[in-house]
Amino acid sequence: MTSPDGLVPVTVLGGYLGAGKTTLVNNLLTNDHGRRLAVLVNDFGAVNIDVDLIVSHDGETISLENGCVCCSISDALGDSLDRVLALDPQPDQIVIEASGVADPTKIASYGYGWPGCRLDAVIVLADVETIQDRAKDQFVGELIIRQLRGADLVLATKSDLVGEDALNSVICWAAEIAAVPVTPISHGAIDPKIVLDLSSCDRDASWDPQTSHDANSLKAAEDMFETATLALSRPLDRSRLEEALTLWPQDVMRAKGIVRFSEACDCGAELHVVQRVGLRWSIEPTLPEINLEDSGGQLMVVARRGAVDAASLISDLVDG
Amino acid sequence: MPTAEAVAVRDGHIVEVGTLATMAPWLDNYAHQVDDTFIDHVIMPGFIDPHLHPSMAAVLLPMEFTTVVEWDLPWSEIGAVSGRVELLDRLMELDADLEPEAPLFAWGHHPIWHGEVDREALNEISATRPIIVWHRGYHSLIVNDACYRWMNIDLDAARRHPQVDVEKGAFFETGLGFAYRYMNSFLLGTERFRAGLDRMRQVIHHGGQTTIGDAAMGMYGFEEEWEHLKAVMERPDTPFRIQLMPFEMGLGGEGESDEAMIERVLSYPQRNTHRLRFSDHVKMFADGGFFAELLMLKSPGHLDGRHGEWMTPPERFEQVARSFWNAGLKIHVHCSGDLGVEMTLSTLEKLQWERPRFDHRFTFEHFGISSAQQVARMAEVGALASVNAYYVYELSRAFADHTLGYERASQMSRLGSLERAGVRFAVHSDFTMAPAKPLNNAWVAANRLNEAGEVMCPNERASLDAALKAITCNAAYVLGLEDEIGSLRWGKRADFTILEADPYDVGAEALRDIPIWGTVFEGEKFPI
Repeated sequence: MTSPDGLVPVTVLGGYLGAGKTTLVNNLLTNDHGRRLAVLVNDFGAVNIDVDLIVSHDGETISLENGCVCCSISDALGDSLDRVLALDPQPDQIVIEASGVADPTKIASYGYGWPGCRLDAVIVLADVETIQDRAKDQFVGELIIRQLRGADLVLATKSDLVGEDALNSVICWAAEIAAVPVTPISHGAIDPKIVLDLSSCDRDASWDPQTSHDANSLKAAEDMFETATLALSRPLDRSRLEEALTLWPQDVMRAKGIVRFSEACDCGAELHVVQRVGLRWSIEPTLPEINLEDSGGQLMVVARRGAVDAASLISDLVDG
Repeated sequence: MPTAEAVAVRDGHIVEVGTLATMAPWLDNYAHQVDDTFIDHVIMPGFIDPHLHPSMAAVLLPMEFTTVVEWDLPWSEIGAVSGRVELLDRLMELDADLEPEAPLFAWGHHPIWHGEVDREALNEISATRPIIVWHRGYHSLIVNDACYRWMNIDLDAARRHPQVDVEKGAFFETGLGFAYRYMNSFLLGTERFRAGLDRMRQVIHHGGQTTIGDAAMGMYGFEEEWEHLKAVMERPDTPFRIQLMPFEMGLGGEGESDEAMIERVLSYPQRNTHRLRFSDHVKMFADGGFFAELLMLKSPGHLDGRHGEWMTPPERFEQVARSFWNAGLKIHVHCSGDLGVEMTLSTLEKLQWERPRFDHRFTFEHFGISSAQQVARMAEVGALASVNAYYVYELSRAFADHTLGYERASQMSRLGSLERAGVRFAVHSDFTMAPAKPLNNAWVAANRLNEAGEVMCPNERASLDAALKAITCNAAYVLGLEDEIGSLRWGKRADFTILEADPYDVGAEALRDIPIWGTVFEGEKFPI
């Protein structure tokens, strides 16, 4: 699946200082996931990349041999976005590391509406060791809560540093505030399908343990989720799909697809792009540039392994 | 305040202050001229505004002003514009006067006073001229169809943006960045920017100022601004000096260590020219802006439940402040709300505990909302304040109704408490937040009258003495220049502001009405 609307998906990484954004950014930049990412960061110096992987470094931009680039958000975020959108080839996805005191939903508005972009997801990182104390802090407590509430997905970071009971308790606490899926991670290791738009995950690459910092935790991170992809044999009933997108549980982290509806849409479009990140979903008309032949389209779902059967979620849409 | 009859000047400096009789030892020994130009005037120490923004002014001053308060600018007197119909009428007049094709930028819209203005309303004023209505506190822009064409804007992207309303022609908050994308090359173009900066030059002189502080040099790009400032301000006919505080201080980033940042700051004075000067003062930022209503508040928070913003993460703030403090630098902190003040004050208390310093000049800038208890703690740790007193005039009624409720709004920019606690304070304009008129700011400080005609919390008025010191000697102290400017004394710069009346004769109520003859800068007369 290439991005059907020609817009580059933007993921916003939010969370307070020390939440682990930089560790995740380092992993995204250097692991062999097969995608050309442009990562915009506030603090260039904190991004610690092995010099062997760097192709060029021109002050505001670091280019890596895997095709990824890292740019500093020097003054205006919009200027930085324009800079990476002008790259040739264009990045598959843009990741914005929000400042520790930013309200990520405000940063997300750049993703929604900057020329050439669309918002993929707001992902907020929460340090399980400190977030509950920080949430009570007189200066930043309210901000911490607001950051969590702005998330599509929450990553509970440094999860290996606390016991299982404590981890579960923080996750429940965060899930109640954020009202979106909360996933534990450690050392910035997370299945790229959770962090990145599924359309830029078409090569089905995964973290290569050879290049990772901690092969075991990455493997464990991948084992947490299962992905189901289904070619749809016939058009879908739109209201049934909308209902499903609304009702699917929090264990469904992401869904993405291109579908045909059984009834003609007012907008005249034959094809629609379906996306769901966390609990937020959209159905947008798209141009028929993608050759689906006569099929009904396709749909991909990433869900927490063991919690739901991703394949049956999709097949339920078609059956009966 | 002490008074004198004569001041002897040589080579731009004061030799002696007193009477012709007491100066005899000097006059007998050196050839001299007695100049009685100001025999019927009052010579004050040259006024000092320690905190304003020439670069922001350079962007704004080429625009038309349509605010709810009046502006007396060197090139025109602009009346107040209150009400929606009045605003649209003013835009109509401005449209008729402008040359065809030139975009009409009008700054000063605020929904509290002007109601909602939209694209259709602006289309009725002109179908061909780009019209841009700019919010008083830089919060939003509203444009017409001709402006969309002029910007050559990507309307599809604009429609997706949650803070752009394409139908209404409105760009809010983060949507502003979207609009600037299409306007910055125009607004920051060298010719326009330098013309704006030259207007700023006139404004500073017009207000009777002989020294100003640029409290965020480099906000549009450090080296560019430096070149513009040198080209426009460093001229023999510029009757003032600018004390520069670099903008990026304390925001971190770019992987620079705090040590490297300090070294860089301390290297800036090497480039000083006669009028443009860096020193060892640095600027940091706590919470968001007052006009933009992004101040951080302690309980009970904002009236409408909205949230403010931190401009620097509190932990990072403390870390950078500690580095500056331990390096002996003078720290100025932008803080607007009482939670911003609290964060700043608790950091200062911690630093004083760790490594006590005398005469550190740690200055609270703006000081919108604070409590009397915070003032007492500021006194304990030797803090200074540089206050935007003008908030009271323009915002106290509106903020009482819409943002803070009456009690806190009436006590904004508290000065009486500072004076009673012995906290030395300056008042500043933060121009273009307030007019760059020190006498006007001193008038607000001493009277606390607002634009609705109410006196807000008389207990927080400054005395006339304190209000005048706040634009002279205490303003010099805040900038660390008290040995050079701020009062009339042997050895100081011969910088004077020449008034047509004595502030002590006319009293606090009439301060803002005193006509200014002009200034003397380093011994040279510059009439207005």
